[in-house]
Amino acid sequence: MVEDLLIYAIDYAKELGATYAEARYHKNTGESIVARNGSILGIGREVREGIGIRVIVDGTLGFTAINTLRREDVKEAVEAVVQQTKHLSKTVKDRIEFADAKMGRARYEAIARKPFESMSIDEKIEMISELWKRVSSVPREAKLSVLLVQYGENLEEKVVVNSDGAFVVSRIPRITLYYNLVLNHPVKGTIQRWELLGASGGLEWINEWKLDEVLPEDTSTYEKLLLTAVTPPQDYVDVVVGSEIVGLIVHESCGHPSEADRILGREAAQAGKSFIKPGMIGEKIGSEYATVIDDPTIPGSYGFYLYDDEGVPARPRYLYKEGVIYEHLHNRWTAKVYGVESNASARAMDYRSEPIVRMANTYLKPGNYRFEELIEDVKLGVYMKSYMEWNIDDERWSQRYVGLEAYLIENGELKGFVKNPVLEITTRSFYSRIDAVGRDLRFYAGTCGKGEPAQGVPVWFGGPDVRLRRIKLGVST
Amino acid sequence: MHGSPLIDTCSRLVEGAVSRGFDEVAILATRTDRTMVKLANSQPSVTQRWRGISLSMYLVKEKRIFILEYRPAGGDVSEKEFDTILEHATVVQESPFYAPLPEPKPVEKIEGVVDKRVLEYIRDPVELAELSIEAAHRERIDYVAGTIDLWYTEKALATSKGVALEEGLTGLQVYLRAFSEPDGSGQWSTCSTSIDIREIEKTSITASRYAAESKGRRSVEPGRYDVVLSPLVFGNILNLVARMSSAFNVFTGLSIFMKNKPGDQVASERLTLIDAPRDRELPGATSFDDEGVPTYNKPIIDKGVLRTLLHNSKTASKLGVNTTGNAGWISPRPWNLVVEPGSYSIDELIREVKRGLLITNNWYTRLQNYVEGAFSTITRDALFLIENGEIARPVEKVRIADRLPSFLKNIEALGREAHRIMWWEVRIPSKLPYVLVRDVGISKHML
Repeated sequence: MVEDLLIYAIDYAKELGATYAEARYHKNTGESIVARNGSILGIGREVREGIGIRVIVDGTLGFTAINTLRREDVKEAVEAVVQQTKHLSKTVKDRIEFADAKMGRARYEAIARKPFESMSIDEKIEMISELWKRVSSVPREAKLSVLLVQYGENLEEKVVVNSDGAFVVSRIPRITLYYNLVLNHPVKGTIQRWELLGASGGLEWINEWKLDEVLPEDTSTYEKLLLTAVTPPQDYVDVVVGSEIVGLIVHESCGHPSEADRILGREAAQAGKSFIKPGMIGEKIGSEYATVIDDPTIPGSYGFYLYDDEGVPARPRYLYKEGVIYEHLHNRWTAKVYGVESNASARAMDYRSEPIVRMANTYLKPGNYRFEELIEDVKLGVYMKSYMEWNIDDERWSQRYVGLEAYLIENGELKGFVKNPVLEITTRSFYSRIDAVGRDLRFYAGTCGKGEPAQGVPVWFGGPDVRLRRIKLGVST
Repeated sequence: MHGSPLIDTCSRLVEGAVSRGFDEVAILATRTDRTMVKLANSQPSVTQRWRGISLSMYLVKEKRIFILEYRPAGGDVSEKEFDTILEHATVVQESPFYAPLPEPKPVEKIEGVVDKRVLEYIRDPVELAELSIEAAHRERIDYVAGTIDLWYTEKALATSKGVALEEGLTGLQVYLRAFSEPDGSGQWSTCSTSIDIREIEKTSITASRYAAESKGRRSVEPGRYDVVLSPLVFGNILNLVARMSSAFNVFTGLSIFMKNKPGDQVASERLTLIDAPRDRELPGATSFDDEGVPTYNKPIIDKGVLRTLLHNSKTASKLGVNTTGNAGWISPRPWNLVVEPGSYSIDELIREVKRGLLITNNWYTRLQNYVEGAFSTITRDALFLIENGEIARPVEKVRIADRLPSFLKNIEALGREAHRIMWWEVRIPSKLPYVLVRDVGISKHML
């Protein structure tokens, strides 16, 4: 029994002098099908299975991982990590302690309403090949030079046990569809669009996403965009930011800077620091519409979990609330430093990864405007629906989003396409300029990167469309 | 064939897969022993240690290609996995990328890439952690963060064509980021296959000097500037360019070279970018690729001319050329990158600039369009305005926002000293100098 091995690991670590020990059995299995222009390039299968062990020894944190399930290997790994951590503790000034927390003792799973096995591999291949047939016939003047499609199904199984009493067993299936398309025109150049669709659950999402219907329509839009888009207005205008970009913005400029480990400098040389400093809870960051929530418990979400990898029960976190910095993302270490309770933000990508503070599903709280109402009193403006290029500085203050599908708004109506409008803005400026918020909440999938070695974890980010007043857009070179 | 336990595992798995009905098989096994110490606030924040074996399997049945990545509990492959794949083989179409695995060729092993001192520091990295912190504090800084990463990998490859190869390599990457309140910060990095204490000290000291010198930043206007880029920034951008030279990325619409063929002028004649798997100083060194083909150093861009895309046997076959020894079973990849240095000192590069920027670090490089190469990246750490050939003052963060093709063509001059760089944003080990690039788009937030 793997549970017996985990209990052995934590008991033995405690016996060797660890004040805290945690052992996580973690298995990720996945299958992917990759197709280019309708032909299957190959099929990949992946199995990552092992045990991650974390200890606190003399106030110092140590982590190790093994991919065998033999008792003697667990013993050796525990001895090595306790010894190495103890040795390193001589150089540590600030002793690590964990905040007390309610520890989960639970078993849960996300249900695939339509299990992966309910569709045969040839049906899946047919589904992917069909996309090429449908999409490649769409362009009239341009040519679809590449359509890369990757279908993925994954299962994440975990048993988290620690010396403070956690015992959580979980099983989460996830499904993804990724595509990259390049449209080419001899005079107008190229347009590129890639997207990742992802959720927890099973094949029921294929019917939800309807990529076979959406992608041909989008391709037609991209062709028109490539052929007709004009330079965006250079004066100050109103900008309606589409939910896809709003989702990315809240992930980048609210979720990341609210990670308490980042605020405390633990990621300073990698993912960076935060404009939020200790003591800034309660400071104003935006208008009354700036409420950003991170919620791991949304059923079907790509970032779904009910207990984090330290065994703490999950709940929604209000990171910004009505324009104010309200709550950070905490694990048990940062919670202790801040004198609060962990809000269950510790996640590890796989057995080889230490649990660190992460987002799950981050979104801007919707309002009550219909899209038509958002644009109806805009005399001259731009609606940025989707993006390709983006980045943000390592303190999460200065950010840039380059629109892909973007429209001119004139007298309350959408009029034609604008090319590559650039929204380059600070975090405070974005949240302060929101003056109307749409009613439709939409989510988008992403793989969020952080840590060293880098850990990519599944997240959703989302929001409604929002309207910003008096924005000066840039133009991409 | 009887060799080490690792190659025996590979050979046994090849035999097993062939006997179960696969036409072609390659098994790559990697045994890793690795330690990483993360530093934050001038002290270790965590020590991490990994030991284990991973298996990658390439399986072909009637020109259908399957890849299996396996980090199994127990270190072996279950029969069920093979059966599942064989079932798939009856329905999957032939891969348009299929080409037979290459026949075995003599491989000249790279000598001198295992340093026993790295093995010792893997067991006990405390001395290196202490040295990095202490050296950083020799300058006027407040605190330092960073990563000390040390590894030993042993890889073995067996194929159904009779390839049976193995080699070991030690490696390290060290990167330090120093902070000098209220707004100074600097970063440097090094990587190697062997321990070089002076280089590790220099990494800390360079990061700290940049931190101390970049305090008191003021804003700078966006526009077009001549820029001097550190090897960290140059490396970040050339990592991207080198990945785009993978023929697979050309086929899948993720490359500026979609519009090019070998022989095209794609960069300034001052740029020679080499894929250097046989550079024994850089920890991406390997004497054979994932298909067992011997590696060799080759220019990707030679004096500004695109010489070759990077190939495995499949992409090569598709284009009617020879493999370049860069497999990746599906996607070819660069091993190490080397840029041929120029003749300038850093001061001489700066003297060439009337009004420009010295950019020492960047991150978060993203593209609007991989084919056109429209990209932006944001600076981090020390950034200086250059006026009339001299550093005028530290300035606040900006973005480089430009197109890769014009960026490459505007390379004007290269430093004479090459630095070994590897960190979060430069994942391919790279050896390269400072560079001067003319007329580069610089943007920043104006709201």
